[in-house]
Amino acid sequence: MKSTAPTRAYRRRAPGEPRAVGYLYILPALLVYAVFLLYPFGQSVWLSFVHWDGLTAATPAGFDNYRDLFGDPALRAPFAHALLLLVFYSALPVAIGLLLAAAMSRVRVHGMTFFRTVLFLPQVLALIVVAVAWRSILAPDGLLNDTLRAVGLGSLARPWLGDYTWALPAVGVIGTWVGTGLCMVLFLAGVQRIPRELYEAARMDGAGPVREFLAVTLPGLRPQIAVALTLTIIAGLRNFDLIYITTSGGPGNATSVPAYEVYHRAFETNQVGSAAAVGVALTVLIFALTVTVSRLVEGRRV
Amino acid sequence: MGCPRRAARHRPARALPAVLTLGATLLAAGCVPGTDGSGAAGTGTGVATAVPDPAKAGKTTLTVWDQEIRGGTNGEITQLNREFEKKYPHVRIKRVARSFTDLKTTLKLAVSGNNPPDVIQANQGYPDMVSFVRAGLLTPLDNYAGIYDWNTRYPNTLLNLNRVSVDGTDFGRGRLYGISQTGEFVGLYYNKDVLRKAGLKPPRTWGEFTAGLARLKERGELPVQFGNLDKYPAIHTFGVLQDQYAAAATRDTVLGRGTGFDTAATKDAATALRDWMRRGYLPKGAGGLGYDDAAKMFASGDGAYLMTGTWLLADLKKTMGDKLGLMPPPPAKPGGAPVTTGGQGLAWSITSRSRHPEVAAAYLDFLTSAHASDVMTRHGVLPAVPGPAAARVAPDTVDGQMIDGWKRLSAADGLVPYLDYATPTFYDTLSAALQGVVSGRTSPEKLAATLQQDYGAFQRTQRRRHAQSAPAESR
Amino acid sequence: MTTRRERGVTYALLTLFAVLSLTPVIGILSTAFGSQGSLDTGFSLPRDGLHWGNFADAWSRGHFGTYLGNSVLVTTAVVAATTVLAVLAAYAFGVMRFPGSTPLFYLFVIGLTLPQEALVVPLYFDLRYAGLTDTYAALILPQTAQSLAFGVFWMRTYFRGSAREVIEAARIDGANSWTTLWRVLVPMGRPAISTMVVITFMWTWNEFLMALVMISDEAHRTVPLGLAFFQGQHSSDASLLAAASVLIALPVVIVYVALQRRFIEGMLGGAVKE
Repeated sequence: MKSTAPTRAYRRRAPGEPRAVGYLYILPALLVYAVFLLYPFGQSVWLSFVHWDGLTAATPAGFDNYRDLFGDPALRAPFAHALLLLVFYSALPVAIGLLLAAAMSRVRVHGMTFFRTVLFLPQVLALIVVAVAWRSILAPDGLLNDTLRAVGLGSLARPWLGDYTWALPAVGVIGTWVGTGLCMVLFLAGVQRIPRELYEAARMDGAGPVREFLAVTLPGLRPQIAVALTLTIIAGLRNFDLIYITTSGGPGNATSVPAYEVYHRAFETNQVGSAAAVGVALTVLIFALTVTVSRLVEGRRV
Repeated sequence: MGCPRRAARHRPARALPAVLTLGATLLAAGCVPGTDGSGAAGTGTGVATAVPDPAKAGKTTLTVWDQEIRGGTNGEITQLNREFEKKYPHVRIKRVARSFTDLKTTLKLAVSGNNPPDVIQANQGYPDMVSFVRAGLLTPLDNYAGIYDWNTRYPNTLLNLNRVSVDGTDFGRGRLYGISQTGEFVGLYYNKDVLRKAGLKPPRTWGEFTAGLARLKERGELPVQFGNLDKYPAIHTFGVLQDQYAAAATRDTVLGRGTGFDTAATKDAATALRDWMRRGYLPKGAGGLGYDDAAKMFASGDGAYLMTGTWLLADLKKTMGDKLGLMPPPPAKPGGAPVTTGGQGLAWSITSRSRHPEVAAAYLDFLTSAHASDVMTRHGVLPAVPGPAAARVAPDTVDGQMIDGWKRLSAADGLVPYLDYATPTFYDTLSAALQGVVSGRTSPEKLAATLQQDYGAFQRTQRRRHAQSAPAESR
Repeated sequence: MTTRRERGVTYALLTLFAVLSLTPVIGILSTAFGSQGSLDTGFSLPRDGLHWGNFADAWSRGHFGTYLGNSVLVTTAVVAATTVLAVLAAYAFGVMRFPGSTPLFYLFVIGLTLPQEALVVPLYFDLRYAGLTDTYAALILPQTAQSLAFGVFWMRTYFRGSAREVIEAARIDGANSWTTLWRVLVPMGRPAISTMVVITFMWTWNEFLMALVMISDEAHRTVPLGLAFFQGQHSSDASLLAAASVLIALPVVIVYVALQRRFIEGMLGGAVKE
């Protein structure tokens, strides 16, 4: 919510209201925030420039850790996987959400609350629970393979989480399941608020459903699309819980992701400097993507 | 999860102060505690002269981290803990039991923390025990070994596996940092019913075994049950295959003195593994099947053989009863000496910052005493040093087979250490490469080359370290 | 005609996706009631009645009593601290003017996109050095900081939007800033505050990575960690694992079903208001 310009121009301080008291109000929050969030991030940046095993003395590394991000295939792979996973975590849910919104743009639905509650449920479950549940579904004799066999597609059944080619998409599908609900709820609400007159006007111009979608629905949902993309991108890049439970980065390196690599390198293979570099790179990636989204999708609003 | 930054569509001028503030914070964040090397703890003295008496220690809580969660070992540890607490009413044992992989993920964090556990189970070899010793996190146990006579209780081969050199460079010699309670070897569990149905008897030679696999496949049975989702089972299977080609050489390699991994034996073993997958001797979905799930399926009759360690015996026996049989992998020639991957269970160690090393040492001794050995036997667990109860076990039961196999392997010196001991990163390297072979993506040559790359690099580091510390050692 | 077909398609689509959303959940529930030690390693339908005992079993074997207590303690502390601190700070950001208020606010906004993974490593070493690992403080303080990013952002939106007349009226009545905040604005802002509370509750309850790194001591572990290690130990015991999962997810789901509007509103940043 933005307050409109005229109000701000006329806002005056009440007589006797000291400005300094504002600092007192924000001080406790700023203190906790700075000490436990900003400062550690700064330390991460510092750590990314050293080689350290967490126990003995650290040695300066210059840009080595960052160079490795591009040079070492073991570090390029996680980022490549992360970008691929974004298709599943972000692009696909948004697309499905838009599809649903398009289908529903003309209809008033009864029982919307029920549907909303159910569709949004995956977002609320702890990622750990989602991971445990899906690990079971994707087991060689789990629900997915059983269903495939039951409908006669048994030849498609395979050990999803242990398969080099399919482990990453399998993890991606889990992300799609989690993210689609969010997008659907968001777009459904947004679509209900697009004025009917725009649709009437489009219909009178002889537009079919596709044109209606492109000309009315899509532009009308711009802010929601931006929100959906931002939220799902951030969730898609912070999927440590999921990887830890389902595949631990395996088979081989097939599902390694930056979020998991940070933990693995810092606390299992004693490569703390490298872990910090991965963390910083992940932050930069998230930041770049969210800024791009806001520029692209909401660009005209600025 | 984040939230929309709807207000962040700001002009560059506004962003500048924020960025400057952030920058100032970053610069201020110069030092991370521990980067000056002060995090490494001391080596601990482990000095003791008299036999520790926990009764004199007063009220003590002993925190123990272990990974004995399987039916058999969990049972015997629980019983032994209870008996220890009854014997010393002032001592309370706080036990944290977790799966092997979970322990591997969390132990380093716990041991280097501010309140580390007193007793831990450390996996031997470079990845875990040696790196703990390098960081000064474990107490040397030589004094206690002398006081409690552990030196005579165990054969040297087993003791050596728990040794790390004083400077933390080498594994397999030096000071003692742990003792193991259980013995282990990777053997062939077989389902008597499935074999009988196929008209087969338990094989007496390796050739008979492989011929039997083909026969089982023809009859439509799954020859060997196998699940490699957890990454480590393939290490055991591959180890057994490799031992058939070159056991002694492999042992030397693991201990740092052999010919490396780019050998015919490695390639032949990898080829065998690949062939078994191709011919369907191993299940097609093995890459995605969990270890415990595979064991469950074997126990329910799916598969004639299960190639895994003695630690699973109690659980399998519970479901299969008399149908279960166990044998060490058969030798190449009839009546020959058996060889297989194995050794002993994870070592029990005392952390260097433990506040109760004496009580911990007494606990360690209790866990590995002759009485404990009998308790283990009763729970279907293989003790490293079988005691009187083991001698009384009927030889035609699966427990008897296990103990007999252990005795024969120990006598013939046929135990080859687990391959992941070989370098600090070998667990990751080997398990990832083997996943490749199991899925058909990695050729045997590539596997051998990858292993050798890791091993060779580590050997070079070791040589450098030896050169540096040699002047110090001669002092 | 078109309308009816459209309605049909719409409901069909909605139902399809609702089913897809629910299937794993139902699968877990049905497995949780199945018999232990059954040879199914995946989801199963309970063949011989509902085994309520699985939940008790999962509870005791997984030590979930302890974990639950810890989760409740940590979550309550984080929610309380975040609410108080965020309200204070957002009030200042939203209503008062002082030099540097905008950049300082954007500092908080940065925290919304800053991933935990970039912080957790140095934070661990810092807290270990301060002797705070394996204590509740190690979980409460960092998570408060992270929740503050959302809390400050969210509440500032509310404060900025609160009617100027109300604030002016309070000032005319002689109230100072403190009284205005707590006597006037906070009671009015209950919906916004309750949204912040439920979101913070959910994030803190479901937090895994921070707890994994900061706590190695069983006595202080929280519930998601309990589930992760339970999975490691009982990975082939599907019904027990499913029962444990249900126990973990239940508190948040119950709160969600009761207050789902708050959840959705909070997570979608006020883009959904009905």
